[in-house]
Amino acid sequence: MIDLSMIEWGDIAFATWETLVMTGVSLLFTVLLGLPLGILLFVTASGQLLERRGLYRVLSFAVNVLRSVPFLILLIVMIPVTVLLIGTSLGVEGAIPPLVVGTSPLFARLVENVLREVDRGVIEACQAMGIPTHRIIFGALLPEAMPGLIAATTVTAITLMSYAAMSGVIGGGGLGDLAIRFGYQRFQTEVMVITVALLVVLVQFIQHAGDRLVLHFSRK
Amino acid sequence: MRRSFAAVACDVIRIEQLGKTFRVGGREVSALSDINLEIGKGEVFGIIGRSGAGKSTLLRSLNLLERPSAGRVLIDGEDITGFDRNRLHALRQRIGMIFQHFNLLNAKTVAGNIDWPLKSTGMLDAAQREKRVAELLALVGLTEHANKYPAQLSGGQKQRVGIARALANRPQLLLCDEATSALDPETTQSILRLLLDINRQFGLTIVLITHEMQVIRTLCDRVAVIDGGRIVESGRVADVFLHPQHPVTRGMVAQSDPLTAAMLDPSHAFARDKLRGTLVRLTYLGDVTYRPILSHIAAATPARFTILQGEVSSIKDLPFGQLLLELEGSEDDIRKVFAELDRFEIHHEVLQ
Repeated sequence: MIDLSMIEWGDIAFATWETLVMTGVSLLFTVLLGLPLGILLFVTASGQLLERRGLYRVLSFAVNVLRSVPFLILLIVMIPVTVLLIGTSLGVEGAIPPLVVGTSPLFARLVENVLREVDRGVIEACQAMGIPTHRIIFGALLPEAMPGLIAATTVTAITLMSYAAMSGVIGGGGLGDLAIRFGYQRFQTEVMVITVALLVVLVQFIQHAGDRLVLHFSRK
Repeated sequence: MRRSFAAVACDVIRIEQLGKTFRVGGREVSALSDINLEIGKGEVFGIIGRSGAGKSTLLRSLNLLERPSAGRVLIDGEDITGFDRNRLHALRQRIGMIFQHFNLLNAKTVAGNIDWPLKSTGMLDAAQREKRVAELLALVGLTEHANKYPAQLSGGQKQRVGIARALANRPQLLLCDEATSALDPETTQSILRLLLDINRQFGLTIVLITHEMQVIRTLCDRVAVIDGGRIVESGRVADVFLHPQHPVTRGMVAQSDPLTAAMLDPSHAFARDKLRGTLVRLTYLGDVTYRPILSHIAAATPARFTILQGEVSSIKDLPFGQLLLELEGSEDDIRKVFAELDRFEIHHEVLQ
């Protein structure tokens, strides 16, 4: 039987808050880095608005390399960089740089794919109107891709949340940290169960909110 | 090219020796070769061909969405193939384009779509833009739909938005890329009427590509038939339609108009053994259509004739007629008939 009497609800609440902060702040930086990178991947690809085959190959390769590194390894490899950037590799702050580096390439690739789904004819119509390329990208391409971009952000947010939990292994904060220290190392199954249940609820919530936003921006 | 046409007073477009080759899997494939065309101001010029004939590539060379590999495209005397990016943008703002699949921005409303080229070129302030959008909405009859999104519109309405958007920056030239091919026949007619109105109202030059002869008949002054990347025939629509020379043209005429097809080749339509006289096809254009030619000929010559088949109609605004006659009489009688026909400038050809 699970005995809930010994659970420190205050700890759980704080850990949930930390997880939300890690996910939120990392998501912000992931979008800030990954969106431009994804746009760059899209427009420099062969046959696109600003075709630059060499640049595309370099970017694409870099993205693939980062995406091939298992996140657990990335967490460890990133420790010196994180210390350099933030001063510590521990806690909520320490987890954010590896999270951003781990998910930005994923997000960039998702963005690239979403932009590719935008009807070529629409872009061509803009070109035929004599609209400068930067205006086409920001005034037509991105608004047309908005539902897809939100869906990609939702997927990335959920990935971030599970990565954030994983960062508990190297001393990051949040629910993952709680699950490892109490649930795993002290054999408090109850903590583990509660933590996982909370993560399930959070993921459901993010997915639901994302779907609602996608629907709101869909004009089809 | 078989026919020569009167030189147009003010050429807006001249295509000289235009060629386009694509590299496909290391091989050079020719999409267009040796294209020469002159399109006059205010003219509606049609380019017709089967799919893959190169008509889309040709149309898209006029605003350099497709870069020609050879030759020149002169607009108002200037070779646009040498334009830098800024001049190309400025040129494209003076050339409207509409598309088979409309290519509207789904994330913008009808008004937003029409406003988009105005906003992006930045030549008007917000109040002027709003006024211009309202004008254009009224022109294409979509005022009530201003705040709808494209997904809420029918195909014909979408194309009307496309037309309004293309006209936003007051272009002198409108390119139509299979603009009615995704529409049903009734909607096609209404869009063609709108284009004709615009052509007349603003003196806008229209270049269109299509695979439908009907579109050419309704809208165009002149037509070029393209096949295998070459212009195989061109001239006034009525001339090309009534006297198609190239097999591709004949095929397309036959498909759009079975009556003309039967008159071009009556051997399938009539049993030879029932015909005793001379089979003659008459074609005529313009005012002569309204004159009592046949009764005149009947009175002037002893030859007798039977009308086997015939059509009197109009192409755009030009009335025309074509008749398949069986003439009976002496050689001399028939010669007299032909002399009378020549006097009225009625084209005649003996089919058997």
